[in-house]
Amino acid sequence: MRIGVFICHCGSNIAGTVDCESVVEIASGFPEVVFATDSMYTCSEPGQDGIISAIHEHNLDGVVVASCTPRMHEPTFRRAVERAGLNRYMFEMANIREHVSWIGKDKEHNTRKSADLVLMAVEKLRRNRPLVAKSFETVKRVLVIGGGVAGIQAALDCADGGIDVVMVERDQSIGGKMAKLDKTFPTIDCSSCVLGPKMVDIAQHDKITLHTCAEIESVSGYVGNFSVTIRRRATYVDWTRCTGCGICTEKCPSKRSPDTFNEFMGTTTSINIPFPQAIPKKAAINPDTCMKLQKGKCGICAKVCPVGCIDYEQQDELINVDVGAIVVATGYDLFDWHKYPQYGEGRYPDVITALQYERLLSASGPTGGHIKRPSDGKEPKNVVFIQCVGSRDRSVDRPYCSGFCCMYTAKQAILTKDHIPDSQSFVFYMDIRAPGKGYDEFTRRAMEEYGAQYVRGRVAMIYPKGDRLIVRGADTLAGTQVEVPADLVVLATGVEAAQGAVKLGETLRVVPDQYGFFVESHPKLKPVETNTAGVYLAGACQGPKDIPTSVGQGSAAAAKALGLLSKAQLESDPAVSKVNLSRCVGCQKCISTCPFGAIKAVTDRFGNLKAEVIETVCQGCGICTVTCPQGAIQLEHFTDNQILAEVNALCPPKMYVNFE
Amino acid sequence: MSQLEELKAAIRGHLDSLDCVIGWEEGYDPLHATPLFIHTEADLDRLNISPLAVHNLATYATGFKGTKIGIVVRGCHSRSIIELLTEKLIERDEVVLFGLCCDGVVSQRKIRAALPADPGFVEAVEIGADELEITIAGEKTTLKVQDVLADKCRICAYPDPLLADVLIGEKHAERPNDVGLACQDDFEAKSGAEKLAFWQDTMSRCIRCYACRNVCPMCVCQDYCIAGSRDPLWMSQENTPAENFMFQMIHVSHLTGRCTECGECERACPVDIPLMLLRRYMNKQVREVFGHQAGITLDKTPPLLTFQVEEARIKERDW
Repeated sequence: MRIGVFICHCGSNIAGTVDCESVVEIASGFPEVVFATDSMYTCSEPGQDGIISAIHEHNLDGVVVASCTPRMHEPTFRRAVERAGLNRYMFEMANIREHVSWIGKDKEHNTRKSADLVLMAVEKLRRNRPLVAKSFETVKRVLVIGGGVAGIQAALDCADGGIDVVMVERDQSIGGKMAKLDKTFPTIDCSSCVLGPKMVDIAQHDKITLHTCAEIESVSGYVGNFSVTIRRRATYVDWTRCTGCGICTEKCPSKRSPDTFNEFMGTTTSINIPFPQAIPKKAAINPDTCMKLQKGKCGICAKVCPVGCIDYEQQDELINVDVGAIVVATGYDLFDWHKYPQYGEGRYPDVITALQYERLLSASGPTGGHIKRPSDGKEPKNVVFIQCVGSRDRSVDRPYCSGFCCMYTAKQAILTKDHIPDSQSFVFYMDIRAPGKGYDEFTRRAMEEYGAQYVRGRVAMIYPKGDRLIVRGADTLAGTQVEVPADLVVLATGVEAAQGAVKLGETLRVVPDQYGFFVESHPKLKPVETNTAGVYLAGACQGPKDIPTSVGQGSAAAAKALGLLSKAQLESDPAVSKVNLSRCVGCQKCISTCPFGAIKAVTDRFGNLKAEVIETVCQGCGICTVTCPQGAIQLEHFTDNQILAEVNALCPPKMYVNFE
Repeated sequence: MSQLEELKAAIRGHLDSLDCVIGWEEGYDPLHATPLFIHTEADLDRLNISPLAVHNLATYATGFKGTKIGIVVRGCHSRSIIELLTEKLIERDEVVLFGLCCDGVVSQRKIRAALPADPGFVEAVEIGADELEITIAGEKTTLKVQDVLADKCRICAYPDPLLADVLIGEKHAERPNDVGLACQDDFEAKSGAEKLAFWQDTMSRCIRCYACRNVCPMCVCQDYCIAGSRDPLWMSQENTPAENFMFQMIHVSHLTGRCTECGECERACPVDIPLMLLRRYMNKQVREVFGHQAGITLDKTPPLLTFQVEEARIKERDW
């Protein structure tokens, strides 16, 4: 084999702490290396041309580039060697940036370690063999999980692009968190007026199939050919016939059902349509509180329903659908503020979350848009807002900023003044983070035009005094303690990953971070892709986001899905497991451990059981290869021998060890 | 009727419907037993189930796949059968199990150590209720069975077969299943350097005869053992302590969650390498991490033969 080695300086990123010339010199002496050189930026056009001309000049049949992580530029260099006529798998990368230059300052050691990593890559490359991808058809349909604003945008963009869309929403109606908002910052336009038409578009688009009250049961398959099972919960109402007239909800005698849409600010009927603009506008029964389902007595809704669509016998339904791409838009949930002792842990009814306050402000909310405090229904005069409740706080394991609370707090202060002109708002804040377009001007307006008093400091305790609450906190700018009497306290509760996100991630093979937010493929360059091909992220499931960013990401995810499915055929990664049939004893251990169901048992012509890999399903995780005791199943491009060669390059075997 | 007669009667009743029944008979001398493959009633006369009949006959089970056989099993041997069934390496309707409630078997190593001289040619062995009377060159030596009992039998938790079609003998009272051996504790208490020195010394004896592998009921790779393979090339054929130990490491890791501690590897070793030190240690780890013991019930999947995103006892994330 004739191997060429290229050491990248990455400007000063690598060359600053690695002696690249020395690495070239050492690498020249490695087995089968016939050419070694260094360059300033190997990934640049002249850098890639250098590789291509070296392949032609020195008749190379394998290339090692020592530069950054393969996550960054392996595809770049693979294409480069392919342009020079080599197979793209006759290329290896040594990571001497993230693994060496960025983490150590000792130039001598760094240089030695770089040379070691290059040797590992050379030793592996010597055992590489050309691999060829297979092509396969794709299903031209997209699954969108989550019907919040990000999911709605993604679904509409995909459908407008001519692709069938299946949308799955856990709640009874789409709309997500945005549907619960009264107004949106920084324009103070009505949230449901902005979102409502888009929700209607979802219902009316002939390319969109909507399943609400539904969750993902299982996902199998691979990019372009996912097979999804959706569990649709029983609603006890036949939605093909329900007209959404609402007579059942008026007559239902059981009014103890928690009102999730109104953020538990009161209760609602057991059979219910969550809000007037709900899509689909269909009634559903909460089986936990329905007297007919619990005790077998009542049945009033069935009697009053003009179309007879009530069905107390309805069961969960499993729906199977094949899709080519998946957009995950599961959004967020709110931090449970009851963990904080200083805010009363729920003892004071007049301490509410901002989303609850949003429902009080909303004309479709439980108070008809009049701000009435929960304890006695009085109009509050002093409203205290506390920011960063469950954000930027290591003590509750939420060190991150939730991003949009500064903005909605300012919005709510403005709206409070609009609703109650003689009211006074106080805002306890840590820092004001308003980096969006028109955002800083907006928070200034809340202070300057609407007279909201901003107090920079944390709140130490809330205690009742008469029918009011006293909020005691620090004013760090004045260096004093302050006590503010409040009629109502609104907590800007932080954002956390949606409930069930981690479990869904496991189903979809999308990795959540330590807080449950899904991890994108690359934080800068692949913000909506995941490490599972064909699964894309949109909105707050990837991290806290406001509405414009969520919508933007919804469109971005849709563009990715459309781009993927616009190809007639996709190519599968050939770095998958392969069974050596002569070594396979048919014990089927690999089949039982494969997380993807990518291995099946077949019978050879002598009637012996053998394992067979379904190449397009295999994800190349390698679990089967460590399971097979006799090493009969090997991961192509990462065979035992290739990995052992790398290990041996690092720790050369002592050939003649003898302890006798 | 004695246990032996009872067993013979049971086998006789099944012999017509089976291709063969595997038991034990007297071997090259009266002190050593050897496996017996019973095809006819005449073969049945040679059956021997004394404490000298030590072999785990479950080792043969996979080789007879596709035929219907009977196997005589003691408690620990039945665990091997259960593990083979769990892994679907044998079919339940292809084996008839003749279970013996077992009082333990002898360790030839201990007998050899207890005899006054090299056993050479043993003339006769009288087996009493709890004594062995061994005649060598006209001289008689009496040994207590208890003194020469195999290590595994001293701490045996399952003397009665956990799975049997025919059960011969009286069942024992339930025993604790977490009793350890002093030799194991002593070894584990050693420092890393002492252990290294121990294995370097011990493994230099290994002649790579692979008796430990060939006798293991769980070693089912047939002719494709990784020890003799160039692709993948996990180890060379060089007979050094390092390579020898590498083979044992591979063997023990292939047995993770599968080893039933029948002790055959150690028994078969011609150079007396205490291989069970490795097996027992690994089994202890598996019990701690996965709460699993191989070959106890038919409905448990061995922990390494399944895939779970998160193991119950390995907390990678704490939400």
